[in-house]
Order: sequence, then structure tokens, then C-alpha cells
Amino acid sequence: MKKRLAFLIVAVTTLLLTGCGGNENVIEFWTPLTGEDGAYMDQLVEDYNDTDPEHPVNHVITSDLYTQIYTVLQSGSGIPDLTLIHADRVPSFVNNDLLVPMDAIISQQPELNEDNYLPEAWTAGIIDDVQYTIPLDIHGSAMYYNIDLLEQYDVMDWLDDDVVTFDEMLELEGQLEEGHYVVNDALLGWVALAQLQNVGGDIEGADGEPTVDTDEMREVIRYLREINEAGLMTPYGEDGYLMFQSGNVLFSTDGTWSRLAHEQVESLNFGVTNTYSHSAEVFHNRSSAHLFSMLRSEERTPEKEEGIGEFLEYIREHSIEWAEAGQIVASREVVEDPEYDQFMQSFYTQDERHEDSLYIYTYEHYPYVAEAIDNYIADIVHGEMDVDEGLHEMQRFVNDRVAEGDAELEDAADAVEDFDDDVDTNE
Amino acid sequence: MDKSKFSHWFFIGPHIILFVVFILIPSIYGVYASFTNWNLMTSPTWVGLDNYRTILTNQDSSFHHEFFNGMKNTLIFVGVSVPLMVAIPLVIASAIEHKKVKFKNFFQSIIYIPGLISISAAALIWSLIFNSQLGMMNNFFGADTVWTATQPYAWMTIFIMTVWGGIGGNMIIYRASISNVSQDLYESAEIDGAGPIRKFISVTLPSIRFPLIYTVVMTTAGSFNVFGQPLMMTNGGPRESTTVLMMYIRDLAFGSGQSIAGMASAMAVLLGMVILIISAAQYYVMNRNSA
Repeated sequence: MKKRLAFLIVAVTTLLLTGCGGNENVIEFWTPLTGEDGAYMDQLVEDYNDTDPEHPVNHVITSDLYTQIYTVLQSGSGIPDLTLIHADRVPSFVNNDLLVPMDAIISQQPELNEDNYLPEAWTAGIIDDVQYTIPLDIHGSAMYYNIDLLEQYDVMDWLDDDVVTFDEMLELEGQLEEGHYVVNDALLGWVALAQLQNVGGDIEGADGEPTVDTDEMREVIRYLREINEAGLMTPYGEDGYLMFQSGNVLFSTDGTWSRLAHEQVESLNFGVTNTYSHSAEVFHNRSSAHLFSMLRSEERTPEKEEGIGEFLEYIREHSIEWAEAGQIVASREVVEDPEYDQFMQSFYTQDERHEDSLYIYTYEHYPYVAEAIDNYIADIVHGEMDVDEGLHEMQRFVNDRVAEGDAELEDAADAVEDFDDDVDTNE
Repeated sequence: MDKSKFSHWFFIGPHIILFVVFILIPSIYGVYASFTNWNLMTSPTWVGLDNYRTILTNQDSSFHHEFFNGMKNTLIFVGVSVPLMVAIPLVIASAIEHKKVKFKNFFQSIIYIPGLISISAAALIWSLIFNSQLGMMNNFFGADTVWTATQPYAWMTIFIMTVWGGIGGNMIIYRASISNVSQDLYESAEIDGAGPIRKFISVTLPSIRFPLIYTVVMTTAGSFNVFGQPLMMTNGGPRESTTVLMMYIRDLAFGSGQSIAGMASAMAVLLGMVILIISAAQYYVMNRNSA
């Protein structure tokens, strides 16, 4: 009996340990792609693995990717070989020396170069002239329109120059049926950041300090408030996204990926255009990008890096599948493929003028700025909060967080300096 | 070797190991982190009491504002939800235990089942019920209120969801306790001329003293850690009036930008101290009064 028990224990332990151990050739690839995005990436990875590569890829989806990254970096083990991160994370990751440049991979795969990608996506991974990422996509603001409602109000001509202006929207003041609105307030923070570019503002000052409480931001809010005060924006707290899908709103400012959800609504006859602007001459669509990157890890071998290069080259050639997820694919080869034209988001890469409108904020403290704007913009635009008070709160929110981060980096630098001094003294 | 000498370790050992690994060590590290400046990417840097000083005394700091606004909203949640989460299950348990009530287990199940549903799923259900376009509340009652963006309705939606999902556990404890109260006491009270309310106050409540203390203390501690309901129902709005402290703590530590884990830990420690003090006071007051 005891022998049987001992055998059982050994067998189970062996099985468990076998399960814990991984194949050293496998590229561990972590992404934050939940939902349908994750399924499309799974398919891409599966297709790649079907080509029988020397280094197959294991796609791991984790909704709290950045927390997981911090955890493995602290422990120093289990660091993924390849990660898909957002463009706005690159500066802080590089400043904290967490990313490895892509130089080696680019030299092995000559097609992974600037000319073969949308420039906005490629340059989002450059810090101090070093390429830290290879882009997968650009995903950003999109403005969907309800074709039936535009026809009903006889304003289809607003779309002629691909830019709907504030003045055009204001033409419908007092003209709408009860329960109808011109535009919703979905992703209003992103809209505000696009407008900020339209009016020539920025979130980074001359000395690298965050700038939110500025004249340009005040101007942006004035434009947005005007729409709201004219009764043209969906009311405060209402689900504007749902109201668009219900056929009560002419325009919805959400993301390129929302196409999939809108297509599920049978009665919704819709198209896509640029985020509105104060002028048809100047327009931007606030965007972000998914970027392949490699966290600093001693476990990643040169052979595995070679495998990563092969995978990224495969993605560059085959990411038409990724367009299904509603994203603007970064690979020039895919974007220029006639097959890509069937996807609605091809609107944003139809010409240079549209490509240039895809604006990716790469300021180091952008995440804090975006969080502040997301927290307060709806309250300010809908008149629930005074403009000055709101801007002051946003600026303070960002300043305090940046100051904490700066103090952390200074302390770390001091610690390194002290360490160097100690070494010199001992020598 | 005397095996019985070590036998108790086999029973308590697994729990001790889990407690030390997943509760004690992280808690101690959390307290340590509260005295540091830490972005989770580099090593923590010791800053002494700076984080606490900023949170408690620097009125110009957004962290000070966030802590006190979060604490105020948390106290509102605790102050309203805990009495409801104790009183309602107590009344329901007493009613179910009445000798004339049939299908006791059926009613108990109906009230307990919502507690098995995840907060996310429950929030989706209630968000749809209170949705101003599609929701039952507006369409059935002909209202045009945007419930989750208008006070006091925003709080109301949170409390309704919390009570709906939270009363089942306490109710079962109360029901089990009430069923153990000797019928002799009720009969004696009846002979003395006591009515239903007098019997409830003078017989039932003193007889279930310890379960009552336990549920009050545990419900209070749990309510201080509220997070999911306001996050899912109102996202902290309108104008941060339902943003509870745990939401600020989470945003600071794991928000969109570089982590500010030291400050978040300091807030968490302060919240823990408040929970500890209030729970101890509750236990002391209730135990003394009922002794």
C-alpha cells in the first residue's frame, strides 16, 4: 500500500513539474488584448505556428498587462519574450530602462523598416533616435455617422470635405426632433485631445512640463461647450454610445474598433469620417498604437530574438487578419492591399492628409494628462463644473503625479550616484 | 516520537502558511511601501512620513483632496449600507422563522442567490434596469431621470445593488441563530404579556448577540473596502461624489500612468487603521452593552 502511495506521489509530482516547465524554444508573447481583439490575435499566432517555425509563439492575454509586467520585473523571472504595449507607455518604460532596442531584430529582418509602416506608428517607438518597438496598428478616435439621420436633416453635404465643423453642427440648433442630438459625448477626452491639436495646443511645455490649464485648452472647451449649450450634444450622464446605436444621434465619436459593435445593430445605417473640427482645413484624430516590444531580460537568447524577428515579419505580411478587429493596420503592405479597402478604417489611410491626422501623443506624462482629462472633461463641457476650476483641478492632478514620479527617478539616480561613489572610494 | 504532540500543526499549518504568504507578508510590505516612493518599476525609496504628511496636511495636494473625498464617500457608503445590511436581513430572518411561514427554504434561497452573482454581472443587470433609455425604471414609471448621473439617485442605485446582493449571507446567519433560541423564552415572554415587537427586542436580539456583533463588524469592514459597485454603476460620478477611497487607491497604484504605489499604500494603511479602530469600537460597545 505504502509503495503504491509513494508511486502515486512521485507520478503526480513529476506530472506537475513537467507542467511547470516550459519549452525553451517557445516565444512567450503577452498582450492586453481581451475580447474579440484577443481572438483575432490568437488566430494570427495560430496561423504563424502552423508554419512550423523553430520558435513557436505562445500568446498570453492578460487584462492587467502592465501590473503583470511590473510583477515579473520585480521578481526577475518569467519575463515574457515579447510584449504588445501601448504607445504612451514607451517613454516611461525607456526612461526606466525596461525596454531593449529592436536594433538586432531590425538588422536580421531588413523588411522591418520605417518605409514599410505607417510613419505615425513607426515613430511612436523611437526615443532618442533608438527604435524600441515594431508597430502592429494604430487605433484611435473615429466619428461614425448615421446616414439615415443625415439624409433626414438634409445635411449629407457636411461630409463632402471629410470634416464636419462646429459651425455646420450649429446649423441644426433648434431644428432637431425631440430626443435627437447631433453628436454624443463618447470618448470626449479623446475628442478634446484631438481639438487641442486642431487649435495648435499641446500637453507638453517648452521645458517638458505638463500643460493642461492653457489658453488652447480653454478654447477647446469653449467649442465643445457651445455644442452642448445649443442642445446638440447628448445630455450629461446619458449613454451617448447607445443613443447612437438606437438611431437618435447623427454622430458618434468613439473608436475605430467600435465598427464591429455598430455592425451588430441591424437597423443602423452608418459610415465613418474624421473627428469634428473648428475648421475643415485642420483636423486630427487622437490615436494610440499597439507596439511590439521586448522587456529587458537575461533569459532571452539571441536565437529566440531571431525567432521573434521571424514572427514580426510574418505579422507585417499577414496582419490583414488584424484589420478584422477594427484597427488601422500599421503594415504598409497590408494597408496598400486592395483587400484592405473593404474595411471601414481604411478611410484613415486613404491619402497622406488622412494619415497625418492620426495623432499619437508620445509625451512621457501623457497617461496622467489623459486620465485627468477623462476625469473632468464631461463635467466641464456639460456645465457641471466651472471651466477655471476644472482646468485648475486637471493641472494639479497631473502636476502632483508627475512630481511624485520625478522624485522617484531623482532618488534612484542619487542611489546610483552614491553607489558609484562607494565603488570609487573602495577602489 | 509522540505524534499527537504535532498533530495540531497538521490542522492549522496549511492555514498558517496561506495566511503568512498571502496576507501577513504582503501586509507588512504594504506598510513598508507606504513609507516609500515607489513606481513598481524601480526599487522603493524611503521617504519616511512624507506620504502621510502630504495626504493628511497638504491641502494644496490632489492626494489630500482625493483621500478626504474618498474617505467621505466611503463613510457615506458605510453609514447607509451597514444598517441596511444588518436590519433588513434581521427582519427577513425573523419573518421567515415565524411558525406560520411556509416554504422557508425557498424564500431563503431567493434572497441568498443574488449574493452568488459576481459584482460585475450584477452591476450590468442594475445598470440596464436604471438605464435612462432602455431601463425598466424610466420606461415603466415614465421618469426621465439619468439615475447614475444625478444625486442622490446615483447613491441610491449603489445602495440598492449592494443590499440586493449582500443581505443573503447575513440573513442565513441570523436565521440559524434565531432558530436556536429556545421557544421557552418566547412562551415565558408571552405569559408576561409581551407582544411581537417586545419579544423581538427583549428575547431575540439578546439571544443572537454574538452573531449580531460578528455580522456588524464584518459587514462594516467589508463595506469600507467597497470598490466594484460605485466603479461599475457610476464610475465615481457625478463629479466624484461616489468615488470611494479604494477607487483612488487602485488608480494611484495601477492607473494609466506610472504607478504611485507609495502614496497608494499610505492611503490603504490609513483606511486600514480607520477600519481597525471602528471595528474595535463596535465590538467594544456592543459587547459591553450586551454583557
